[in-house]
Amino acid sequence: MKRHWRLLARYFAQYAKVRLAYKADFIIAFFSSMAATVLGFGFVLVLFTKIPRLQDWSFDEVMFLYGFSLIPLGFFNVVSWNLYDFSELYIIEGRFDRVLLRPVSTLYQVVFEKFRLESLQEVVTGILVVGYCVRRMHLELGAMDFLWFAVTVICGAGIYLAVFLILTAVSFWFEDRVGIVPPVFNMLNFGRYPLTIYNVFIQFLLSWIIPFGFATFYPTTHFLGRTAFTLYFHLVPVVAAGFTLLAVVVWNRGVANYSSTGT
Amino acid sequence: MPPIIEVQDLTKEFRTFRRREGVLGALQNLFVREYLTVHAVDHVSFSIEPGEMVGYIGANGAGKSTTIKVLTGILSPTGGKVISNGFVPYRQRRHYTKHIGVVFGQRTQLWWDIAVIESFKLLKEIYEIPERDYRRRLDVFSELLNLKEYLHTPVRKLSLGERMRCDLAASLLHNPPLLFLDEPTIGLDVVAKERIREFLKEINRTEGTTVLLTTHDLSDIEELSKRILIIDKGRILFDGDLEQMKNRLAQYNQVKFFLKDRSQVPRLAQIETDGIVCQRVDDLTYLIRFDRAKHSSAGVIRQIVNTLEVRDLLVEEEPIEEIVKRIYLKGEVA
Ligand SMILES: Nc1ncnc2c1ncn2[C@@H]1O[C@H](COP(=O)(O)OP(=O)(O)O)[C@@H](O)[C@H]1O
Ligand SMILES: [Mg+2]
Repeated sequence: MKRHWRLLARYFAQYAKVRLAYKADFIIAFFSSMAATVLGFGFVLVLFTKIPRLQDWSFDEVMFLYGFSLIPLGFFNVVSWNLYDFSELYIIEGRFDRVLLRPVSTLYQVVFEKFRLESLQEVVTGILVVGYCVRRMHLELGAMDFLWFAVTVICGAGIYLAVFLILTAVSFWFEDRVGIVPPVFNMLNFGRYPLTIYNVFIQFLLSWIIPFGFATFYPTTHFLGRTAFTLYFHLVPVVAAGFTLLAVVVWNRGVANYSSTGT
Repeated sequence: MPPIIEVQDLTKEFRTFRRREGVLGALQNLFVREYLTVHAVDHVSFSIEPGEMVGYIGANGAGKSTTIKVLTGILSPTGGKVISNGFVPYRQRRHYTKHIGVVFGQRTQLWWDIAVIESFKLLKEIYEIPERDYRRRLDVFSELLNLKEYLHTPVRKLSLGERMRCDLAASLLHNPPLLFLDEPTIGLDVVAKERIREFLKEINRTEGTTVLLTTHDLSDIEELSKRILIIDKGRILFDGDLEQMKNRLAQYNQVKFFLKDRSQVPRLAQIETDGIVCQRVDDLTYLIRFDRAKHSSAGVIRQIVNTLEVRDLLVEEEPIEEIVKRIYLKGEVA
């Protein structure tokens, strides 16, 4: 375990060094990430100039939810970068051979070989926005809430990662790019608004099929004191653990199915 | 001592499917697939003793890389049994990989964008190599492979030969008892090849590292290994000592001779009796190939020097390329 943390620190330091060697490139990436974040909040702001409330959700509450979602999403974005070209780089080019030759879990290597550094910005922005909303709404948060906060952030990032790992693992069977990633990304963004604004079908989908609701919406209901969702809130760690397990199983099956490339 | 590698009836089949083009084709690909089975490795058996250096040779597509991939745990076999250094590679992969070094000539094992030395440091962490061992081996390898000038260069900026040397060093940093090399000299010039061969011999001698290397360059084999395995179309055609193979299977010897001057040329016809044929190499250089069973080298030489005035003369065994080619053609060793 300790070794894995040390290794993670090394991977990260190493990657950061390479990345920061191209300063202009990094600065542009950082500002585009920032711009995307600002645009997201801008959308919420514009929405609330047209309507006073979103169903029974106040501006502050929606901001809290949207800000909160940035935190697990930011962590997920930092580590998920390698998943986008996984099929091309690792399967078709056969780089996965190298991964298999090292005495470290394959999942660990793929996830931690590349980091989207600029997405750390999302984590910081998310925390700032949540802090601001807490003050505006005078929310009373105790020590337990802070603990839950940390737990649900980790679970949220875990859920995002699990879902995309499962989609990535598909390329162990089908090398052809199957265009399922973009629509799932849209689903992810749906989950950053109150689920109750959608019809039952989408609510069900986002809870039990692709559980993005458990990554952001259900955790925030707890901090906002909406007791109607208490049961769902307590299920967050369960859903996160379940999907992580599922992702690991699917991944390992994929690895067993890996057939390298002929040269 | 028991063998370090034992392979029994190893079989690996690949099922590939025909890809159709275009959008409609891609959709069809998802649902209807026409499979094609390739028998890349077909009931292969052999065993290797600790400290041996074995050459695994065969033409392109013979099944060399596939065998190495199964032995290193990258692929699981379709059938058969493999035990290597006490492990079943594809089942105990993560533990097993600590005990092997692997180099693929076609593809680097290092991180493309970072300096060589940084890759080494990552490997130190990954393999949990103690600081002192790491330092010592790094020094030794830098010396033997002359790496010092490249250590701070990113891998992508290295030439093929430089990269291969770095890859070799990387594969041995954790001091594995077993080293697998797949075409380690492919695309290298003579000097670079020579350097790598010297290094392998040195490591094999000093550390007792067992080495299995594939190649289609037979000069690698002549320099490096006593024992060879010949594979063709997934089957082992020959397994044994290189010298023995030459003794047993060489059919021809050849004498190369250099005439004193051009006035000798017309007399060449006089020695062309009894199935002996002179081949012209250049103006004054000629070659006689003769069946070892029918003629002795001494007899042929006598006839040459009695008939012609020669400046120099050289007896050679049949090149192993020729012997191996014959084995491929026959598909077996008689
Ligand atoms: N990953 C793969 N998928 C499908 N076919 C493969 C794969 N790897 C190798 N083959 C096929 O198996 C045979 C043996 O290949 P290989 O072991 O790479 O030969 P060699 O290394 O001796 O050139 C070839 O016909 C090759 O096309
Ligand atoms: Mg090959």
